[in-house]
Amino acid sequence: MGAGWFWDAGNGLGFAAFAGLLYLTITSSRRLDIRAHQVLGYAVLFLALFHAFWFLLGDTVAVEFIKPGAPDYMWLGIIGLLLLGVLITVALVPDRMRVHKDYPAFKYWHRVFAIVTIACITYHIVVSGFYLATWHQAALFVTVAVVVSFGRMYWIKLGKLPTVTVPAYIALSALLTAMFAAVRNLPL
Amino acid sequence: MKTIFVFSILSMALIIAFGSPFAGEQPVRDHYFESPEPVLPMTFAHIHHATVNCIDCHHNYNDDTGGGLCMNCHMTNEDVWPLLENQFHDLCRGCHAEKAALGEDGGPPRRCVDCHLGDDLP
Repeated sequence: MGAGWFWDAGNGLGFAAFAGLLYLTITSSRRLDIRAHQVLGYAVLFLALFHAFWFLLGDTVAVEFIKPGAPDYMWLGIIGLLLLGVLITVALVPDRMRVHKDYPAFKYWHRVFAIVTIACITYHIVVSGFYLATWHQAALFVTVAVVVSFGRMYWIKLGKLPTVTVPAYIALSALLTAMFAAVRNLPL
Repeated sequence: MKTIFVFSILSMALIIAFGSPFAGEQPVRDHYFESPEPVLPMTFAHIHHATVNCIDCHHNYNDDTGGGLCMNCHMTNEDVWPLLENQFHDLCRGCHAEKAALGEDGGPPRRCVDCHLGDDLP
């Protein structure tokens, strides 16, 4: 079942980053703890970059996957990463003040960028087909992404969700990535 | 954070341009088997695939689509050439992954460099 320890661990990191992005989207309701949201955003970006560098540094040929002629799902992955970077870095003062004069406009465009980022990364994961082999799996995955992206009215009703700290997020990501790679590669 | 992000993107661009400083030997794209465009080398040796039924790969043995080496058609036929990457990824990776799923030693299932360094074996 496994695709090798190196490949599965690298992609486990990518899934952890995507899960973090979905969590940030769900928790961005009215009672948002802005500082916790901001700091966790850094951690999500860090994991997404770690996922990209894992392959670029560890496999000399992986770089061919993001050169001209690469499959569209890889381009969408790169665009998703760049959008995530912009989403997080431009959200900080003073850069935010340069781009958005008023806070409501910032919130609106921040949400739009987040949804576009989720769409790009969902495409990257689903169309690559490395892990979601059947249409049922792909449909379920897309449904989760859509519900998280557009279910804001529902997420607000949940009230204030427990805050996830960066050490807890990184530790949980490392643990789940290790479990993901182990389940797929250990002889059972 | 902005500085780290910009630094990361620049590092990524350098790796794309010059390759990874840690990942060892780098494959060279070339016109292997007279391919119309430079392609990556491929690792394939018959001796490593002795347990595989010939017909699993050599479909032309029974579907009358030509003779000779795989690459005679797959690299040079203008109808087949554009499908090279997908066809060989599906065939090679599919078989390797299937073996891995069965708990058998079926060779590398996914890591790019495991198959794209090239070799001198027949």
